[in-house]
Amino acid sequence: MFCRLTHWMISRAADGGKEMPRFADRHRERCRACGDYARFAESLPTRFAGETPAFLAEVPGFSLDFAKTPAVSSGDTRESRSGRRSVLRPLPIAAVLVVIVSGLVLYRVVPREAPLTIADKNAAIAGLASVTAIPNDFQGAVAQAESPLVRERLILEKSVRSAIEYFQARLNIEIAKKQGSDSLEKRQLL
Amino acid sequence: MTASTPIDEKTDEELAQEARAGSRRSFEELALRYKRRLFVFLRSRLGSDQDAEDMVQETFFKLYRNIGNYDPAYHFSTWLYTSANRLAISSYRKRKTAESRLETDGRREPADPAAAGPDGESSVDDLWAEARTLGGSQFRALWLRYGEDLSIEEIAATLGKSRLTVRVLLHRARTNLMKRQGDKPCSAA
Repeated sequence: MFCRLTHWMISRAADGGKEMPRFADRHRERCRACGDYARFAESLPTRFAGETPAFLAEVPGFSLDFAKTPAVSSGDTRESRSGRRSVLRPLPIAAVLVVIVSGLVLYRVVPREAPLTIADKNAAIAGLASVTAIPNDFQGAVAQAESPLVRERLILEKSVRSAIEYFQARLNIEIAKKQGSDSLEKRQLL
Repeated sequence: MTASTPIDEKTDEELAQEARAGSRRSFEELALRYKRRLFVFLRSRLGSDQDAEDMVQETFFKLYRNIGNYDPAYHFSTWLYTSANRLAISSYRKRKTAESRLETDGRREPADPAAAGPDGESSVDDLWAEARTLGGSQFRALWLRYGEDLSIEEIAATLGKSRLTVRVLLHRARTNLMKRQGDKPCSAA
């Protein structure tokens, strides 16, 4: 059992693995069988190397037919292969398809109208000028226009007046207007 | 190494790079260097000389076609043996399928003759010849370790096995080899 373990350690050391543990080293020195195995394992590289030429010389002679092999192009075949594959890569193609389909779903393609002629342009400019021109009764319209502030004051006056009427009826009192404070309506009427 | 260096003095990796650049001559030199070595390796898996020859031819044909995939960071021999091993496995499976179809005829041949040992034609009575008797996988591990001087990691990658499996294969091969050589004196002793 211990010899088997030591043999394994010797083999592992011969294959460039870990060094022999001290206990296995001591056992190898004491055990004849393990010592023989260690020497045998150590001798193998030299023996095999020495016998390889003779062993290969025994191999029956045969020739390789290179006429069948196609010529290799001077370029890198790996690059050319990867270039050919890139055309067929499914992921980029799928991504492009998704973008196109989603674009078609979200947007509508509307063809542009025919470009304007000179006559159309002139008519459009004339129409624009008529819309933007100052009307004849512009000053009067401006005078009649109510500013938002005036309108707000009128609404407020109406509310105050109705509140006064309410209090007069409810409390049986009379609320009179002070001298010199005209309402806006009166002022406008004057 | 420059282009003026004699072709037989160039390393495998230099030749492979030249072959990758389009040099057929460099690839032929590589094939010349490795065809016998590869034959020995493949014979142990395929079992017959004829099959091994065909597979050597097929392997080099495939390698030449795919020489652009060779990565100079790795040994050429590792790439070569890995490709050869895969082709041999594929061929073995095809043959097994074909044999299973013919099984009803009762003419089935041994699936992996290499596992049963060498064909006995070799006249060499040496360590390698004895190693061949160990069986296919142990012989291949020994061949890659001592014939090609590959590391455990390279052998594992070549054979498609774990490093531990390769260590176990080599250990068994050594143990069995020593048993068979039991009555012979150790040259290193």
